[in-house]
Amino acid sequence: QDYTFSSFSIDGNLRVDSATIMTYMGIAQGQTLSAGELNAAYQNLVGSGLFESVEINPRGNTLGVKVVEYPTINEISIEGNKRIKDDALFTVVRSQPRLVFNPTVAEQDAASLVEAYEIGGRLAATVTPRIIRRSENRVDLVFEVTEGQTVDIERLTFVGNRAYSDTRLRRLLGTKQAGIFRTFVKSDTFVADRIEYDKQVLTEFYTARGFVDFEAVSVTSELSRERDGIFVTFRIKEGQQFSFGNLTVSSEFANIDPATYQRLIKIKSGKDFSPARIEAAIIRMENKALKDGHDFVRVDPQIVRNDRTRTLDVEFALVRGPRIFIERIDIEGNTTTLDRVVRQQFRAVEGDPFNPREIAQSAERVRALGYFEDAEVNTREGSTSDNVIVDVDVVETTTGSLNLGVAYSTNDGPGLNLGYTQTNLLGRGQTFSFNISTVSDENSVNVAFSEPYLYGRDLRFDIDLGRITTSNTTQQYDTTRDTISPSIDFPVSERGRLGLRYRFLDTSLYNSSEDNSRLVNADVGERSDNVLGYFYTFDSRRSKIDEDYSYVLRFGQNFGYIDDDPFMRATLLAGAETNALDGLITLRAIVEAGSYTVYNGGKSRITDRYSQTTGKMRGFENFGTGPRDLNAVNQDSLGGNLFSVLRLEADFPIGLPEEYGITAGLFFDVGSIWGLDDTAGGPTDAACPVVDCTVDDAFHLRSVVGLAVYWNTPLGPLRFNFTKAIKKEAYDVEQPFELTVTSKF
Amino acid sequence: CGGNSSKDIPLETFTPEEIYTRAEFDLEAGDPEEAARLFGEVERLYPYSEWAKRALIMQAFSYHRDQDYENSRIAAQRFIDFYPAEEDVAYAQFLLALSYYDQIDEVGRDQGLTYQALQQLRLVIERHPDSEYARSAILMFDLAFDHLAAKEMEIGRYYLKKGHYAAAINRFRVVIEDFQTTSHTPEALMRLVESYLALGFVEEAQTAAAILGYNFRSTVWYQDSYELLKGQGLEPGLFGANWMGKFYRQAIRGEWL
Amino acid sequence: CTAVIRKHGYIPTDEELDSVIVGVDTVETLESTVGSPSGRGILKDGDWFYVESLWKNYGYREPKEIDRQVVAIRFDDKGVVSNVERFGIEDGQVVALSRRVTDSGISGVGFLAQMFGSFGNLTGSALTGN
Repeated sequence: QDYTFSSFSIDGNLRVDSATIMTYMGIAQGQTLSAGELNAAYQNLVGSGLFESVEINPRGNTLGVKVVEYPTINEISIEGNKRIKDDALFTVVRSQPRLVFNPTVAEQDAASLVEAYEIGGRLAATVTPRIIRRSENRVDLVFEVTEGQTVDIERLTFVGNRAYSDTRLRRLLGTKQAGIFRTFVKSDTFVADRIEYDKQVLTEFYTARGFVDFEAVSVTSELSRERDGIFVTFRIKEGQQFSFGNLTVSSEFANIDPATYQRLIKIKSGKDFSPARIEAAIIRMENKALKDGHDFVRVDPQIVRNDRTRTLDVEFALVRGPRIFIERIDIEGNTTTLDRVVRQQFRAVEGDPFNPREIAQSAERVRALGYFEDAEVNTREGSTSDNVIVDVDVVETTTGSLNLGVAYSTNDGPGLNLGYTQTNLLGRGQTFSFNISTVSDENSVNVAFSEPYLYGRDLRFDIDLGRITTSNTTQQYDTTRDTISPSIDFPVSERGRLGLRYRFLDTSLYNSSEDNSRLVNADVGERSDNVLGYFYTFDSRRSKIDEDYSYVLRFGQNFGYIDDDPFMRATLLAGAETNALDGLITLRAIVEAGSYTVYNGGKSRITDRYSQTTGKMRGFENFGTGPRDLNAVNQDSLGGNLFSVLRLEADFPIGLPEEYGITAGLFFDVGSIWGLDDTAGGPTDAACPVVDCTVDDAFHLRSVVGLAVYWNTPLGPLRFNFTKAIKKEAYDVEQPFELTVTSKF
Repeated sequence: CGGNSSKDIPLETFTPEEIYTRAEFDLEAGDPEEAARLFGEVERLYPYSEWAKRALIMQAFSYHRDQDYENSRIAAQRFIDFYPAEEDVAYAQFLLALSYYDQIDEVGRDQGLTYQALQQLRLVIERHPDSEYARSAILMFDLAFDHLAAKEMEIGRYYLKKGHYAAAINRFRVVIEDFQTTSHTPEALMRLVESYLALGFVEEAQTAAAILGYNFRSTVWYQDSYELLKGQGLEPGLFGANWMGKFYRQAIRGEWL
Repeated sequence: CTAVIRKHGYIPTDEELDSVIVGVDTVETLESTVGSPSGRGILKDGDWFYVESLWKNYGYREPKEIDRQVVAIRFDDKGVVSNVERFGIEDGQVVALSRRVTDSGISGVGFLAQMFGSFGNLTGSALTGN
């Protein structure tokens, strides 16, 4: 039947006032209601979550509503937790002070606290919520925690593995067997979902080596008697190992000739079958189709299995993919970076055919900008069925860094270092940096600016201004060197860039003591040069197809005049890096060489010549090798017009768990510094004490073998070098230990 | 300096009114953060008092004054949930919209906040049409809406400058179809004249210019397109033309068009 | 220096275009055969057009459009195809873009706030000074 109410009597509400209850019920005075509507009003009131109990009883034309409110939470506290701190635990608690206390929410909070402990490996933890009544219908909520013991993995064994040993497989897994570092390492605590991850790792390991039928059958774990250790056994079925049969290419497109794509497969039949190699071949083919301007080409691998010969034939079919276009590219989350700085990383333009490979490469370029903590690129349906919208969601990271610190370098001792770098100036992608560094006897000031897309083109403009003054390091004279150097560089091929540079250079050498060699004092004074040069850089990593090796070539020449004698400086650096034993060991070889020649009989100055900075050859002090005037009182090292060095390195893990970030490496350097224009040495203002004072500037090979320890600290990758010279000149100055920042090439 | 800080006095002993007035005093004295904390205490200690209700809205306001937009939103949302029938709910809703609106940044940057501001402003306009905040909410809604149009224009100009005329046309069409009430419609029409001409669609360019002339005859955009269509084209200023001027304008001043 | 040629936009293949029958095909029938257009005319049911161009990227020079194919499908007021036109880059006009920008009225974060706004990482070189 129907109801109409002219008055309402609401009681029991303290905090929530009657008007609010009326709004939740949604009933107005004099409104006729069916029984259903009345019940709906009742449900709304209950649904508000504000009341412990609600009763409504219609009495004639007045509606009686009796409510009992939930108390409000005054304070929340967690007691008994040692391993996990309060603020970490509070993140999972949904009850909040000042909000209404809801028992079911409190129960759920207790459950999620227990789960937080389980993830940390403490399976025996328990959490009970308790309430303390306060005045004015308020309560304090307390979570009482008993943490219990962590559960570690005593032994981890495999059953059914014939091809690979237990230790080899154990090194793969996330779950580690508890070793002597048990309290340090977190990953040996037993956590169920990590086992699932480990199964996945095992499957990938085997399928990548041709075991196509591999199956991680089951994982059993028994608790040790004392309940503090677990024995985990992985039961696996390896199946047969397959290799590649014959590999062919077929094409649906009339204008694409399959033969040109055949050589892109780069897989020799007979090699172990691996899905990764097929994927790599597909990437190469789709990239080629993209470059040749064919739209909507997709490569579909059709695999035929012949069990008798245990080979798999693969046919790469070039098929017509779905005809989809990019409707819009929407960029979100860029709170500082300008939209165009991100958009210009996309080669695809709105309206172009949609090519997933191209979009993936663009996403890679956006990430490589270094302005974002994370750059997520995904696509969603557009306004019509054959349109797609590319969503780019970025999360900005801090791109400005003000480093203020004490720097210690084994060559130059302690020093103060103040620097400001902003790699995303005003969100325009420009870089600006300003550094002052005062290591004990070398201080430098440097300002640099760079615009990577001048005039909106792929044309990078750099300019840096700097002053370096050295005083009395290993040499008894002071030098000042001011440079202003603008340069531009641009792509000349997919992975090569050519650059042009102008440099104004003002060098002066002073405070040279009379005990220095005559040749040093001959160079006292100030001189400024205008230098023009070009540099070519090739880097295989600029658009990495899939090789597992990378190589770099840098070559440049600078030209200028000293008074009226022309000079030319050529520098070369070639480096290659690859890895062996499944990526366990990284091998690196770097050749570096430089020559500085002054024509028309001009003489090079010590500040222009190459000196032995440790970057070139490890194991020697600054100015530690190269021609030296033995007949001068201070026996100064004079540097050389030419230098060349070969550095061979091998890096490998030393068995410590990766969490420590400590790995090691062996290296072998061989090279020399030689060549002077003027070899008439001896003391400055005294006759030559011996029969012949000419300085030996011939080529003498030096070689050094060394052990490197790499340590990834939060401050950055550090490297400790311990070196021993094998072949050196008697007068060379060794430096057996050195601490530097790891720099690859 | 000022009296003892109110942090260390045991607040339990004070009446809600005293804490409230103390908080109001801090707000006037230019310490909105402390005021917000005290308003919170009123609500925590005396959840049922009339003061708790007023303290909650004042807390939202203080956080906003302190530019702590996140907390201001939480407080305003709590007020809306607890006191939907209250007359101050309009203000709470308005504060919520303001918290997004004040963070809207330059056109080139993220527009996520603009969407949020638009949604909240729409709630203020629809739920509280006759409150005193509705009028300024409508004004701010138009401004935020204009801001979204500006973003579409920015991207349209990006593609126009790079010579991808079809992409540019689509972006300018979005402005004309979805944002015709904004201040960008005249420029969008003129950019369409430029793009269609560049592709060789002369009648389309004329249609666009006609619409521009009909609706925005007095604007400078109509002059530009009229000139363009008559074939004289625009004479670029002396300073802007050479590469030095271009470098200064683009790399330093950031006007990259 | 090797120039890199890139293709942007899309025009339907010749067979697809030949399959369009003037006076018969309408907006709906075209959708499946020729696919949605790169752009549309300005009026509600304006004409369709497709643009495809080849761009040459050469070293530091600004990318240059070396070829452009444009296809326009005209409709009469009843939405039936009235004409299919094709024209190329030579029909386009070189347009000097006006540099005026409608002011968005909302000023951005100040210069200094941005310069020192995003801070946080300490680099390793602070420790070793090189």
